[in-house]
Amino acid sequence: MKRVLIADDASFMRQMIRDIIEPEGYEVVGEASDGVEVVEKFRKLRPDIIMMDIVMPKRSGIDAVRAIRSEDSTTTIVMCSALGQETLVMEAIQAGAKDFIVKPFKPDAVVATLAKVSEKSE
Amino acid sequence: MDLAKYRALFLEEATEHLAELSRALLALEKNAADVEAIDLAFRMAHSIKGMAASLDYHGPAELGHKLEDCLAAQRAEGKVSVRASALLFRGLEALERMVAVLRATGDPPPPADPALIAELSGQPADVPEAPPKKA
Repeated sequence: MKRVLIADDASFMRQMIRDIIEPEGYEVVGEASDGVEVVEKFRKLRPDIIMMDIVMPKRSGIDAVRAIRSEDSTTTIVMCSALGQETLVMEAIQAGAKDFIVKPFKPDAVVATLAKVSEKSE
Repeated sequence: MDLAKYRALFLEEATEHLAELSRALLALEKNAADVEAIDLAFRMAHSIKGMAASLDYHGPAELGHKLEDCLAAQRAEGKVSVRASALLFRGLEALERMVAVLRATGDPPPPADPALIAELSGQPADVPEAPPKKA
């Protein structure tokens, strides 16, 4: 079972992702509400996948990707973006994120993206 | 999707975000170049937009988006103009009314005021600030 860490400053969004992916067999091992906390929880939990919001307090999702990539190359990072954030998504992918999903989340698209990145990481 | 659960979550979190947005806009009234306050206001508008869009609440989603765009433009300018500040406060009040309608009725919030949306879309076109009064 893939272990997932969810990072978003809105608990609403974290809950929504959790509700989409848990029935699909993913284990949510932790949540983070800002860009500093996600790096700390990554170090502690070593998840297989991180669902990373771009706009977060204290440290942006892109900065958090860079910090995590500087320590680890195996954890798969999926960015959670909004429409109109294409440039930021590209920046995150260049920093080491594997893929992205777009808000508002379509459950099928979220599950398909996770399945795709999980296959690639095996 | 359990709409009742997400509606309750939206109400709780949107109320907190609007309070934060209000604090940020008040801080910007005192210091129009307060970068932290602009960033905070931007994040709150962005977050409200995302949550509302997830529930197909088009009114707050559209208004949140326009506030976000307005704040991004002001951030690029380095400070929030007097005109933008007034528009942002109007946007905040409109969002507060939308959330109040949702809380009172459970119905999706009403659409955003087209006039306000149009004015927000006019950013960063700006009215020059009044010159300082002569002593």
